[in-house]
Amino acid sequence: MTGEAVTELAAPAGPPKRLGGIAWHWRNNPKRELWFAWYSMIIFYNIFVIVFFIMTKTQPPAYPYMPDAQVVSWFGGHRGGLLIGFGIVFATAALTLPSTALIAYSIRRMSVSRAFAYSYLVIYSLSALPGMLLLCVVLSVAAMRPSRDPALIHWLFNFAFLSYVGTMGIFLIGSLVWMLAILLDKNRVLPKWFGYLNLCNALTEVVVSPAWIFHQGVLDWNGLISWWINMVVFGVYTSAFMMLLRTMIQREDFGDGPLPDLPKAPKKAPKAQPATLSSTAQ
Amino acid sequence: MRRADGEIILLWTLPVLAVIWISAFFLFPGFVHPMSPSMTAQQVADFYRNPANLDRIRYSMILFNWFGVGLVPIMTLIVMQIRRMAHRTPIMSYCLLGCIAGGPTVFLIADLFWLLATFQPSQPPELTQLFNDLGWMFFTTAVPFLIGQSLIIALAIYLDNPRHPVFRRWVAYFNIAVAAALVPAAFTGLALSGPLAWNGLLSFWLKNIAIAVWIIVMSVVLGRNVYRQRAEADTGPVAEEAVAA
Amino acid sequence: MSDITQAEQPEADTAKPARHIPGQPDMWVLVLFEALIFTAYFAVYLFHRSASSALFLRSQGYLNPWLGTLDTALLLTSSMFMLRCVQAARAGAVRAAMANAYLTAGLGVAFLIAKITEWILLVHDGHGFTSNEFFLYYFFLTGIHLLHLLIGFITLGVCIYQLRSPNRRSQEIVETCATYWHTVDLLWILIFSLLYVVR
Repeated sequence: MTGEAVTELAAPAGPPKRLGGIAWHWRNNPKRELWFAWYSMIIFYNIFVIVFFIMTKTQPPAYPYMPDAQVVSWFGGHRGGLLIGFGIVFATAALTLPSTALIAYSIRRMSVSRAFAYSYLVIYSLSALPGMLLLCVVLSVAAMRPSRDPALIHWLFNFAFLSYVGTMGIFLIGSLVWMLAILLDKNRVLPKWFGYLNLCNALTEVVVSPAWIFHQGVLDWNGLISWWINMVVFGVYTSAFMMLLRTMIQREDFGDGPLPDLPKAPKKAPKAQPATLSSTAQ
Repeated sequence: MRRADGEIILLWTLPVLAVIWISAFFLFPGFVHPMSPSMTAQQVADFYRNPANLDRIRYSMILFNWFGVGLVPIMTLIVMQIRRMAHRTPIMSYCLLGCIAGGPTVFLIADLFWLLATFQPSQPPELTQLFNDLGWMFFTTAVPFLIGQSLIIALAIYLDNPRHPVFRRWVAYFNIAVAAALVPAAFTGLALSGPLAWNGLLSFWLKNIAIAVWIIVMSVVLGRNVYRQRAEADTGPVAEEAVAA
Repeated sequence: MSDITQAEQPEADTAKPARHIPGQPDMWVLVLFEALIFTAYFAVYLFHRSASSALFLRSQGYLNPWLGTLDTALLLTSSMFMLRCVQAARAGAVRAAMANAYLTAGLGVAFLIAKITEWILLVHDGHGFTSNEFFLYYFFLTGIHLLHLLIGFITLGVCIYQLRSPNRRSQEIVETCATYWHTVDLLWILIFSLLYVVR
């Protein structure tokens, strides 16, 4: 299972800085799989923001208390945006998987049992299905036939938003798994404060549950508490783990023990970089 | 020592599955001449109420429900081949595992909606049409996981050791081609007729033929690897081994 | 395997003179973040209260102020015991520390029972989660707080588990758990003030 040529010792552990550097890194950087996963995550979230917030206008969610006629005109107002936007999602949704893989990898690198990593992998791999794709398919079905009975269109509208906002267990349990792994970890892969942040993220899934009960107010699916404040928490959480995973990849030494810190010296030659070939990576 | 018992059996479930699927495919009257999205609600309801169709729809969908997930063990064998590649991390196999979970699950959801449409044929035609729409849309737009798995396999092959590859390069190019062939189906919602509609050239024929060809080609490639590994294990590993493709 | 003797784990360095944050600094990140979130919830509550103050005032009349006061007293006392637990642990009196921890937990359980009883009484009288806007906030805020209390029980469990064995004992963990418990108490005082007292 030997790797590439011996030039790896000189490979700096940071992401490529110039376009010319990218090709070199792609061929030689021993961490390219990890960077592939990390960049996929960034690309996915960008696509997600453009498609959901701008093209399809499903984020922030539409109001749950609109009557049938208003729901129909919501669809009519941006039918093209909906169908093309979701088409893009159908083509690119696999980009969620490398980010799950990277997080599972971070858990695998910790000193805890592999069971944590595999649990997380399983739970989150399927998360996109009820948590995102359901909304995309259902709203596409609603948008593609504008002549449908308005009551049915409204039913599809509710189905879509409730499934999206109200798929809770996956993120609840998944976040708790990651939290527990981080708090028990002795390899210092991720900081403990991020472990606690996972608890906050898990709790957002509890705070959102009244969306299944209320049709209006601060706890409905577009509510100030259930959606807006929750999204702030989720946004902080997501930004945090994107940054932390980047740092983790930079620190990665493919060993089994505690992850070394990044060298503090600014622009020195990377002598403290433990990018050795004697890896015990499996 | 890798335990490889049972892999050959798993591999040979594929031809059995293929027979069942092809039978179910031809049994479902909605596939043989693919239903058009521009059918009116009444036409859809009549289609489902037609006694010549109703039983065939039910039984084909029950068959698909039973065996739709049957591809997962074989795809897991592909994951295990990926694990044998010269990667530094298991990231690629983790990604592939996720894709494998997704594809059959979405297919199962489509199947459930088609079955729902048959349960109470006397329901209002609009409801039958709704369930039919949902079934077709889930079926056709289920491509993200399939695109994902092809691209991940291609990437994994690219990242593998080029001197002792587990799969040859052409398998990577083939997978990229399949992924490209599946992309149009993602946009099927945009059209109720024409090549992009769910019964059209791109979204139905190209997509399903691409999937079928992918299954056949990957199984052959996989089978060769599994048999060779088994032979190696029996006789001891051979040092310099070109992958027979 | 790369050699990581660069720095020892920079844990709460008690060799430093006097100025050190009690417990894991990370826990304070959580406390701060939670405080921000709850502040947002309280702001939303106050805003909506000012929009329909008559309704809120009337609904508040259905709450039992004695039970509310009892809840507050229970949690405050439990915090006092938690404080004593930390002090005992610092002085090395492990048995005293554990006893205090158990007392804290016991009072927490008493709070739990009192709270649930209050909920049952309210629902029995016809005031539920969906009854009106005030009770929406009431059940939401007390519910979310109760969840934090349950998490507090888990942290107490961790604390006791750490104290039990000499090799696991860690002052930092005890202080971290205490920090969390005090936060739960503080949140309750704020909620109590908003829901029961402010009219």
